[in-house]
Amino acid sequence: MAGARAQTQRRKRSTHESFLRHGNFRFLWASVILCAAVIAAYVFQDAYPRPSGGTALGYVLGTVAAMLIVWLALLGVRKRAVSDGHYSLKAWVSAHVYLGLSLIVIATLHTGFQFGWNVHTLAYGLMLLVIASGAFGVWAYATLPKALSDNRGETTRKQMLAQIHGLDELIHEAAQPLHRAQADIVRVSLENTDIGGGFWRRLFGYYGDCANARGLAQLAAAGEPSSRAEASAMAKVEDLMRRKAEALALARRQIHITALLEVWLFVHIPATFALLAALTAHIVSVFLYW
Amino acid sequence: MTQAITLRLITRQAGGGEIVRTRRIDGGEALIGRGSECDIYLPDLAVDMEHARLRVTGVGRVGIESLTGHPFLVDGKRSLNVELEVVRGHKLSFGDFDLLLGQGGEGDISVTVLRREEDRAVSASVFSLKAAVFGRRRMAWTLGLAILLICLIVPFAGAAYLSRLHIHPDQQWSTGPLSKAHAFLEKDCQACHQKAFVAVRDDACLSCHKAGGDTAAIDARVTRKGSPFLPLLIVDHAAHAKLIRAMPPPPTLRGQVAQVFQTAMNHPTDRCASCHREHTTAPPDPNVPKTADVVRPGKPALVVVTDCAGCHSRLKMRLPSTGLIDTPDWNRHPDFKPLVTVGFNGPQPRLQRLSLTSAPAEANGLTFSHRVHMSATGGVARQGQVLGRARGYGAALTCQSCHRADGGGFKPIEMERDCGACHSLAFAQVGGELKALRHHDMRNVAGVLRGALGPTKALSVDPAVLRRAMAPGGLCVDCHTVRPSAGPLGGEIAPVFLVNRVLPNGDFNHGVPAHAGIGKGAAACADCHKAQASDRTQDVLIQGIATCRACHGKTEHETAAAAGAQCSECHSYHAPGQAPRTGQDRLFVALGLPKGAKPRGLPTF
Repeated sequence: MAGARAQTQRRKRSTHESFLRHGNFRFLWASVILCAAVIAAYVFQDAYPRPSGGTALGYVLGTVAAMLIVWLALLGVRKRAVSDGHYSLKAWVSAHVYLGLSLIVIATLHTGFQFGWNVHTLAYGLMLLVIASGAFGVWAYATLPKALSDNRGETTRKQMLAQIHGLDELIHEAAQPLHRAQADIVRVSLENTDIGGGFWRRLFGYYGDCANARGLAQLAAAGEPSSRAEASAMAKVEDLMRRKAEALALARRQIHITALLEVWLFVHIPATFALLAALTAHIVSVFLYW
Repeated sequence: MTQAITLRLITRQAGGGEIVRTRRIDGGEALIGRGSECDIYLPDLAVDMEHARLRVTGVGRVGIESLTGHPFLVDGKRSLNVELEVVRGHKLSFGDFDLLLGQGGEGDISVTVLRREEDRAVSASVFSLKAAVFGRRRMAWTLGLAILLICLIVPFAGAAYLSRLHIHPDQQWSTGPLSKAHAFLEKDCQACHQKAFVAVRDDACLSCHKAGGDTAAIDARVTRKGSPFLPLLIVDHAAHAKLIRAMPPPPTLRGQVAQVFQTAMNHPTDRCASCHREHTTAPPDPNVPKTADVVRPGKPALVVVTDCAGCHSRLKMRLPSTGLIDTPDWNRHPDFKPLVTVGFNGPQPRLQRLSLTSAPAEANGLTFSHRVHMSATGGVARQGQVLGRARGYGAALTCQSCHRADGGGFKPIEMERDCGACHSLAFAQVGGELKALRHHDMRNVAGVLRGALGPTKALSVDPAVLRRAMAPGGLCVDCHTVRPSAGPLGGEIAPVFLVNRVLPNGDFNHGVPAHAGIGKGAAACADCHKAQASDRTQDVLIQGIATCRACHGKTEHETAAAAGAQCSECHSYHAPGQAPRTGQDRLFVALGLPKGAKPRGLPTF
């Protein structure tokens, strides 16, 4: 029995090889060798007056880097085409990650460490931004799906929303006996609670000024109920709002982790387009003012 | 009879459809509120328990009055108390509920209660970041196109127009700062980059730097553009076509591959800009503090495409017409061929470069013994003592008695100044003043003599006297060469021509301390010029290159006066007869300029 389980786990491991480990780190090695070769060429070159993009090696490195950038950007096209085998999408992603990281070395040595407020350094900066956001993406894909799964447990996202919506209806019903002052407090929770919120709120998971939490605090501070019926209604509403707060917290953690998982793409993709444009400007301008 | 109120409650079902319930309220009055006892029950938290009272006030007229002081809406307008004609179909709003007034059957007032269903349901897409920012694709295209527009299209298409508004969008293409020499052109890219996709051509450089052109116009243009100094004017090393043929292919495979690429990419290696590189910052030097001056070098970086030895080795093979001897390195530098006056064609000297090994003999028209003039004893030395210090002598003659320093060289010898103190040309005293012949001009001499003796007696000078003077042992022959002539005297004084620079293609600087006998191991005049042993005018008084090699190319271990053996010690590319002028040279020139005058070339150390 135990042997059978071990075999299953082994098979699972082999079938769930991540893109980082693809082909026994084949592309990691390719990238390391490429970087080592480039560094050696840079160190042993005899560039005068100084290493730059304009030396023989500078042009070679620039050509390699530009071709790599275009190829890396083509992942966006490749991932939309379904195929398998030797050039599976996983192999592409693996090569994309490791060769993308090697660009840090290749492009930096292409610059010859000459930076300025010009279109050339803009292209370099955008490239670093693309790489940094991609690296964040790799980290996010490696760690966050588990966090997402742990957070939601057995609950689906639709269930989370349905739970909040259901609680809203219950609160509305339970609050009917309340007088205006208390009813207005309840309405704050019902009408002003924003589950997701804006970009930064999602990214940092900050919901300190949540309308439901505010309503709860105000309810606690509201005066004594005027009747037993009202006291009972208030207790019920308060309990429901607490349950709503818990449901909101769960959904918002989900939203926060999702934001972290997705945010890099909101930088990576637009920055890639910007990089391709800046790269075009960089190359064309060099030959224009040749 | 009081009109009754017919209440129609319409409830929308989830699947579509409506449920309508009708109730009649007698008494012409209805309480509106959230309280369960209200006639018109509106279960909405925005509605008070007993929010308002609706009362029939006349035929087809109702009044609505807030009981709590909280308003309600009448056709969208806030109100606390209002009277309405129901036929007009007014709408009252309390929270999410709308009450539509109308005329019911049997003269009743009809009140239709509807709940506005606001869709508060949140879709699952709220979990994605897409819900909070606009689409990645839109963002990507916007950014990409904006950069293309700002960084490429506007500078390319709009630079000419925008520069009129003092905006220079093409400056963002600059790969690095220009040197101080060209910094004033930083906003005028097209001063050098004149044609798109064509590498900077020599015409652009020569438009400011060409020697022999309209220098005044160049200076004015450069000044107008804001240069704080005037451009250095240069000539090419040789005719461009000759240079191209003289240049050997790059010695390394890498260089050859690079040359093929450069040629293919329309970036030839025979341009001014091939060697003089702009937009390159100084290489990082940890010992130099980072200042703006370090970033911006004084002049364009010099990248030697082909060095001197590259062309001057096997030159004859590539350029058969050359008269130059190969100089692959300092040790194989050919020996000097001084420029020697070998005779005269009429009044014009015949000058030749003669090898020192061919025992060159100078025929400069003079008879002169350096040994006699420099002897520590004898008549000349005595004459020097007699003349005294006040006249610049006072002792036996030295080199400097006649050869007067002028920069790195010497002033040309002038008879009156350098010989006249002893060899006086005074011929008469008029009113206490000595009258001297202008010695270098024989026609003038004759004229003066005629004037002195009077016109009628001029011809009475006995030719025999002149013939005697010009005969061997005669007065003229002491110093001058006499050559035969067709005139009545049968001879004439030969012209005199002294070469001022015997090595015209090299720059021997007599002002360098090591050349002027100053410092340890330095050479004194006599080390290179054996004047004190020279009795004949014919002697060419310079030493072979071996004398130079005693210091140049030696290590400090070998001699205290060790010096470099680079070609640039004596030659420069653009003026082979001069050593390269440094920023220091130019600084000294600039310091001596009149106030307000601009120096030529960047005056820096």
